[in-house]
Amino acid sequence: MAANIGFLAIVVATLSSVWLIVEGYGAMRNPEPGGFQRLRGPVLGIVGGALVAMGALELAILTDDFSIEYVANNSASTTPFLFKIASGWAALEGSILLWALVLAGFVYSVYRQAAKRSDADGLGLGALFVLGIVSLFFFGVMLTVSNPFRVCIDPAVVGCFEAANLPWSGALAAAEGRGPNPLLQNHILMAVHPPMLYLGYVGMVVPFAFAMSALLRGESGSTWLKRTRVWTLVAWGFLTVGIVLGGLWSYEVLGWGGYWAWDPVENASFIPWLTATAFLHSSVVQERRGMLQAWNFVLIIATFALTILGTFLTRSGVIVSVHSFTQSAIGPVLLWFLMLVLVASFGLFAARIHLVASSPRLDSMASREGVFLFNNLLLTVFAVMVTVGTLYPMFTEAVTGDQVGVGRPFFDRMAIPLSFGLLLAMGLGPITPYRAAKGSVVWQRIRMPLQVALAATALAVVLGYRNRFLLIGTLLAVFVMGTIVRNLWTSARKAAGGWEISIPRAALRVMRNDTGYWGGQISHFGIALLALGIAISANLSVEAEVVLVPGGTATVAGYDLTYVEAFSREEPHRFVVGAEIEISRNGRVLGTEEPRLNRYGTSQQSIATPSVDESLTGDLYLSLKSINPERITLGVWWFPFIWLIWVGGLMAGAAVLWSRLVRKPKPLKERVPVSQGADDGG
Amino acid sequence: MAGDIRRTATWAITGVLAIVILVGFVQGDPEPEDRVARLGSAIKCPVCQGEAIIDSPSPTAEAMMDVLEEKVAAGETDGQIVDYFTARFGDGIYLDPPFAGRTLLVWLIPMAAVVGGFWMILSRRRVAVDEPAEAEPS
Repeated sequence: MAANIGFLAIVVATLSSVWLIVEGYGAMRNPEPGGFQRLRGPVLGIVGGALVAMGALELAILTDDFSIEYVANNSASTTPFLFKIASGWAALEGSILLWALVLAGFVYSVYRQAAKRSDADGLGLGALFVLGIVSLFFFGVMLTVSNPFRVCIDPAVVGCFEAANLPWSGALAAAEGRGPNPLLQNHILMAVHPPMLYLGYVGMVVPFAFAMSALLRGESGSTWLKRTRVWTLVAWGFLTVGIVLGGLWSYEVLGWGGYWAWDPVENASFIPWLTATAFLHSSVVQERRGMLQAWNFVLIIATFALTILGTFLTRSGVIVSVHSFTQSAIGPVLLWFLMLVLVASFGLFAARIHLVASSPRLDSMASREGVFLFNNLLLTVFAVMVTVGTLYPMFTEAVTGDQVGVGRPFFDRMAIPLSFGLLLAMGLGPITPYRAAKGSVVWQRIRMPLQVALAATALAVVLGYRNRFLLIGTLLAVFVMGTIVRNLWTSARKAAGGWEISIPRAALRVMRNDTGYWGGQISHFGIALLALGIAISANLSVEAEVVLVPGGTATVAGYDLTYVEAFSREEPHRFVVGAEIEISRNGRVLGTEEPRLNRYGTSQQSIATPSVDESLTGDLYLSLKSINPERITLGVWWFPFIWLIWVGGLMAGAAVLWSRLVRKPKPLKERVPVSQGADDGG
Repeated sequence: MAGDIRRTATWAITGVLAIVILVGFVQGDPEPEDRVARLGSAIKCPVCQGEAIIDSPSPTAEAMMDVLEEKVAAGETDGQIVDYFTARFGDGIYLDPPFAGRTLLVWLIPMAAVVGGFWMILSRRRVAVDEPAEAEPS
């Protein structure tokens, strides 16, 4: 039943996509006020189809409908409720459905925005036409190579061997489902991280659609950028939060004591983040100074193409990593779609290059836009580097059959200097005036932050730290935070004098007066915290592997770890063994930790659940490597100040809220004229 | 006068801080490098899914770590150790691509992007910037 409804909903959404393309094209060619009425039907068809399909899949999972292959192979009757919900997108077909659902949401929001306008909005109509094409692709994929509603025709005792694509093929239900991939049912973050990432990933389709619409219609200028600013920012925020939560998940679940491995799937989410970040900055340059018009088209096309590449890498099984669960026919299809996107959009761009080619030139490198260019250069090189490093082994193997390895040492070596350069730009850019900056002005604005940063770094040296990456990282991160705080302080002091209000109130007003600028600064502050967290935790962490017998004690990083006893328990969906470890420091007992190993259903693989004792000074991280009655092997890590990474990363992403939600305050009567605090930089 | 003294003092302190950092930086890390950790994270576990041997709990990776520890203790060079593992498990196992041969391009492409990017930025600069004096009103 659920299979029939779900499949039918996808058919409706697919046909609605075709309808949207046809109507959208006509409306774009002859835009007239109220032209959006014609698109109401197809838009509602796409949204309704996607919602019903997702609902049907979730319902099938919750009611243990094992006649559907996806349910039989990715859920089980014993799977806890929350993980059942998450199963709806944890495997290939469901994740494509989630992609399409998020896409439908964006189609609807573009439609809503455009329908409110009174003019004949050709740009918005064209964007909906482009969105129709993308949406046709994803719903079409679900009808063919990645159908979440395939019905089981050859059930196994557990799970399903063979399935048919059409739901009326005489389904046979399996007795029990296989349950989710063990790695994915170990932590609640797995329910949150993918939707976040997809909201970010898919959101990039909106600026892309508007950019394509502008090119199709031969419109130059920055209208498409300004119209899509909301979506770009919101998508970027979700992407940022999604990546950080992915790192947190890896840290909390995988038990290898890290959060980022330069795994191809991690890279797949990080590369579009880099180009999207470059785009956020270069679009400001276009809006303010009219420069970089062509470059912004290149960046947004690249970003959208990279999200498709990322989906391909993650979902085709072309790379073997913890995220690639399955081999599927969807791989080649996604690759063809990627080619189509690249050829069509860059072809269109090349055909219309005369519209965008001329733009004002750079007055001086020593200017806000000069630093923006430097930032774009670094982010682009960063993206190129990660892309090459990720794809190179696959290419080499595909072409010559030889295997080459490119991994963490390569990425680290390249990423560290690039990140230092980005931090430098982040410190200098926001306080450098546009056009041409006077050295004395810039110097006055960075002197104090520089002294504070020097003091912090010198303190680190005096305390005995000599690690060069730590020292440079600290210097730059503190410098960035210092420039932001100084900028706010001076603006607030000036404003407080003018309005005769207290400095904290003035600071808040300054930040609310220009939410775009200050949202960016909050984000920068978060990135600086994150950089500091990485520099400290990566360079000062302590790692040890200890073997303990019951009652035995080992000391790591000043903590005494005593193995008290082993325990085991049977849960409906898993079998858990673990060790009780008492932690004490200087003879004082701090608590007990229980690192565990879990075995899910029929899976032979044991999944570790590390225990993390978090504190303000750092995390004591215990991961059980092996256990038997006589002894345990325990991986022990001490990560100082690692929480800075999570807090900083989430702050960077959530800063978007400041830009979008905070309202401008009502103007106060000025006693003394005050210049816009935030804008005194240019 | 007081302002002058304060300014001089500020600069003196800043200078001292810079020197302290410079000294610390030049001295470098006094602790000997952990070669096992570095090589362990540069060698891929052949039976795992994209994990380095230092990160993987699998028996194969553990055994390889034991071999690695022995070889480092025995004073073998990085080259010898890497050769030992690549001879047994293939070149793909070493995650630190050499700046030569088949992996040269991995290094060269990003570097070319840096050069190309700089060239593009510099070529966009207004030529007038290079001849400033004449434009200035007297």
